[in-house]
Amino acid sequence: MKKSVKTIIQIGLLLLALVTFTAWQTSNASEADNALQRVKQRGELIMVTSPDYPPYEFQVNKNGKSRIVGMDIDVAKKVAKDLHVKLVIKSMNFDSLLVAIQTGKADMAIGGINPTAARRQSVDFSKIYYSGGQSFLINSSDVNKYKSVKNLKGATIGAQTGTLQYGLAKKKIPNSTVKGMDKSTDLVLALKTHKIDALGIEKPSAEAYVKNDPSLKMISSGYHLDKNEVGAAIAFKKGSGSLVNAVNKSIDQIQKQHLTDQYLASAGKYMKVNTVNTSMWHYWTYFAKGVEYTILISVVATFFGVLIGVVLALMRFSKQKWLRGLAISYTEFIRGTPLMVQVMFVYFGIGVVINIPALISGMIAVSLNSGAYVAEIIRGGINSVAKGQTEAAESLGLSKGDMMRFVVLPQAFKNIWPALGNEFISLIKESSIVSIIGVTDLIYQLNIVRADTYRGVIPIFVAMVLYFIMTFALTRLLNHYEGKMKHAG
Amino acid sequence: MQDKTILEVNHLSKKFGNTDVLKDIDGTVKSGEVICVIGPSGAGKSTFLRCLNLLEKPTSGEVNFEGTDLTSVDDKHLVNLRERMGMVFQSFNLFPNMTVIQNLKLAPMRVKHVSDEEAEKTGMHLLGLVGLQEKAHVYPSSLSGGQQQRVAIARALAMNPEVMLFDEPTSALDPEMVGEVLEVMQKLANEGMTMVVVTHEMGFAKEVADEVWFMADGYILEKGKPEDLFDHPQNDRAKDFIGKIIQNV
Ligand SMILES: Nc1ncnc2c1ncn2[C@@H]1O[C@H](COP(=O)(O)OP(=O)(O)OP(=O)(O)O)[C@@H](O)[C@H]1O
Ligand SMILES: [Mg+2]
Repeated sequence: MKKSVKTIIQIGLLLLALVTFTAWQTSNASEADNALQRVKQRGELIMVTSPDYPPYEFQVNKNGKSRIVGMDIDVAKKVAKDLHVKLVIKSMNFDSLLVAIQTGKADMAIGGINPTAARRQSVDFSKIYYSGGQSFLINSSDVNKYKSVKNLKGATIGAQTGTLQYGLAKKKIPNSTVKGMDKSTDLVLALKTHKIDALGIEKPSAEAYVKNDPSLKMISSGYHLDKNEVGAAIAFKKGSGSLVNAVNKSIDQIQKQHLTDQYLASAGKYMKVNTVNTSMWHYWTYFAKGVEYTILISVVATFFGVLIGVVLALMRFSKQKWLRGLAISYTEFIRGTPLMVQVMFVYFGIGVVINIPALISGMIAVSLNSGAYVAEIIRGGINSVAKGQTEAAESLGLSKGDMMRFVVLPQAFKNIWPALGNEFISLIKESSIVSIIGVTDLIYQLNIVRADTYRGVIPIFVAMVLYFIMTFALTRLLNHYEGKMKHAG
Repeated sequence: MQDKTILEVNHLSKKFGNTDVLKDIDGTVKSGEVICVIGPSGAGKSTFLRCLNLLEKPTSGEVNFEGTDLTSVDDKHLVNLRERMGMVFQSFNLFPNMTVIQNLKLAPMRVKHVSDEEAEKTGMHLLGLVGLQEKAHVYPSSLSGGQQQRVAIARALAMNPEVMLFDEPTSALDPEMVGEVLEVMQKLANEGMTMVVVTHEMGFAKEVADEVWFMADGYILEKGKPEDLFDHPQNDRAKDFIGKIIQNV
C-alpha cells in the first residue's frame, strides 16, 4: 500500500475515534432536571424491561396476541396512571436495561432490579417497591444432597449475568464456581441438564418455576442482606429527581395498600393459563413473527448492503486518494469489529444524538456491516477479471465506463453473484444478533417462547429448523439462478 | 505513400521501479511497412510494443503517431488515438461474455458510434476475411486457439486501424494452428497494412517483413532487412540468438 493512502487511513480511523469520543462526552454532560416535565409533555411514560423473568415480567400469548405482563408491569401501570400518562413498554436484554435509560431510550427501567451501591453510581433509583429475598433452585433429585445452602459449598452455581445473584454467589458461597448466562431460561435448562448444581434466583421467580415444574425445588439462600440487595426498585437516568419523586409517591401507595400481593396473584394466574398449552403449535404466531422480522431485516440489509458495497467498491477504484483511503478505513474498521458491538453502537451510541427505533437501528447496523463485506466481494470479483481483458478493451479505444459496463462487470458478476448469495444467507443467520436490542426477530421470539413455556430445548429446535428452512430454500433458489446464468454463457 | 512515417520512436526508455527495461530506443515505421521484432525472452519486446499504444507509459522519450507525441496527450485524447492502432495479444483476450460477432461490434458501436447494421456488416465481412463467418454467433470458449486468434485479429481490424501491433500472436497456439493465423497476417500485409509484429516465426519474418529489429537487454541492437539480419547478423548477441532459433526449427 502506498504511504499516503496509509496516512489517510490512519487519519480516517482517528476521526472516527474522535466522533465516538465526542458522542460519549455529550451523553455524559449533565442536563437540567426536566425528566418529569418531559414525560408529562409527551403524555407517555416509556419503560424498558427484560420480559423473561416471571413473575416480575414475562410474555403471555392471549387470544393469539402477545403481551408483557407481571408484577413489575402492574407497578409501572400504576405509576403511569398516577402521572396521568400512557405507559409504553420496550423490551431488551437485562444487561442493556441500565444502558437504555442512560442513553435516553426509556424514562425508566424496571425488572426486579436491585438498587445496589454499585448501580447507584450510574443511575438513580426509586424507593424499593418489593422485597423478594434470595433463593436457589435445585433439581428435585438433589433435595437430599442440598438440604440447605451450606451444602452448596464447592458447587457450581448459575446466575444471570449482570445480576445481584451472580455477585452474591461468588461472594457468599465458599469455593463455588459461578456460571453466568444471559437468560434465566437458559440457566434453568442448565440446571435441569446438571450443567450447574444450583441456580441463584429471586424468591418469587423461584416459586414460579417450582409451581410450573415438578422437577425443580427451591431452597432459601439464608443470606443476611442489606435491604438494597434484596429489594427491587425502578431505575432512572441520573439527574431525574423530579420524576423519581413523583414515582415514589405511587410506590408509597403500593406499599401502604400491599398492592404487590395482588399483582403477584394476578401474575400467577397468567402463569397458570400459560402452562396449559405449551405445544409449539400454540406459539406458531411467535415464530411466524420472528421469521417475518428476520427475513425483513435480512432483505433490507442485503439491499442497502449491496448499495453501500457498490459505492465503496467504486471508491476503491477511484483516482482520488482520499476516497480510496476512506473506503479502506471503513471496510477495515467494520471488518475489525464484531457485529454485536456495531448494533449496540448504532442503537445506544448514535441514539444519544438522534433517537432511532430498535428495528431501524438493527437494520442500519446490519446494512453498514454487510456493505463492507459486499464491497470486498465486488472488489474481488472485479479483480478476478483477467488483466488481458481490460488491456484488450483499452487497446480498442473503449472508455473506462464502457470497459466496466460491457467487459469487466458482466464477467465480474459471475463471480460476485454466488458470493452475494452467500452473504445474504449469512445475513439471515447473523442478523439474529439484533435481538439484543429488543428487535423481535426469530431469536428474540425463541427466548420469549422459552421463558413462557418453561421448555428449554424444543423452542431452540424449532428455531433451528426454521433457520435451516430459510437458508436452504434460499440456497436452492440461488443455485437455480446461478445455473441459468451459466447456460447463458 | 510508401514513405509516409506513421510511427516514430525517439529515445524511448521505460523503468519498472529500478529496473531499466527499455533503454533509449529509436525507430521509425513507415506506412505499409511490416516490422518484425525478435529477441530473447525478457529483452523488452512486449514492453516496447505496449509503449507504442501507451498501454505502458514510457518513463521518458517520445512516441510520435502521425505527428502527435502520445506521451504528452491527456487520457481522453489518448483513447481517440489508440483506437487507430489495433493490438493482438498472445493470449487472444476475446471477451468471453459476448459472441464472436458481438466481440467485433462492441468497439465500433461504442467508440465510433457506428450503427448496429453497419457494425454487423463490417463484422461479417471481416469474419469472412479470416474464414470464420459461420462462427459469428458462438461464444469464444467453443473455438480453437487458432480460431480465437483469427477472431481477435478481425476484432482489431473492425476499428479500421492504421497500424496493427502483434505480440507473439502464434506462440500460445498448438503447432498445427500456427499456419492459419500466419496466413491471415500475411494476407493483411499484402493488402498494405502497417504492422509491428513480435514473433519468432522466422519463415514469416523472412517472407513478409520489410525490416527485422533485434532486441536484447532493453536495446535494439540491430536493424536490417530479414535476409541480411538472419543470414549475416553483425551483432554477437544477434548471431548467438539466431543460431539458437535456427537449431530449434
Ligand atoms: N509490469 C511489470 N513490472 C515489473 N517488471 C516488468 C513488468 N513487465 C515486464 N517487466 C520486466 O521487464 C522485462 C522485459 O519484459 P517483456 O515482457 O517486455 O520481455 P519480452 O521481451 O516480451 O519477453 P518474452 O519473450 O518472454 O515475452 C522483464 O525482465 C520483465 O520481468
Ligand atoms: Mg513478451
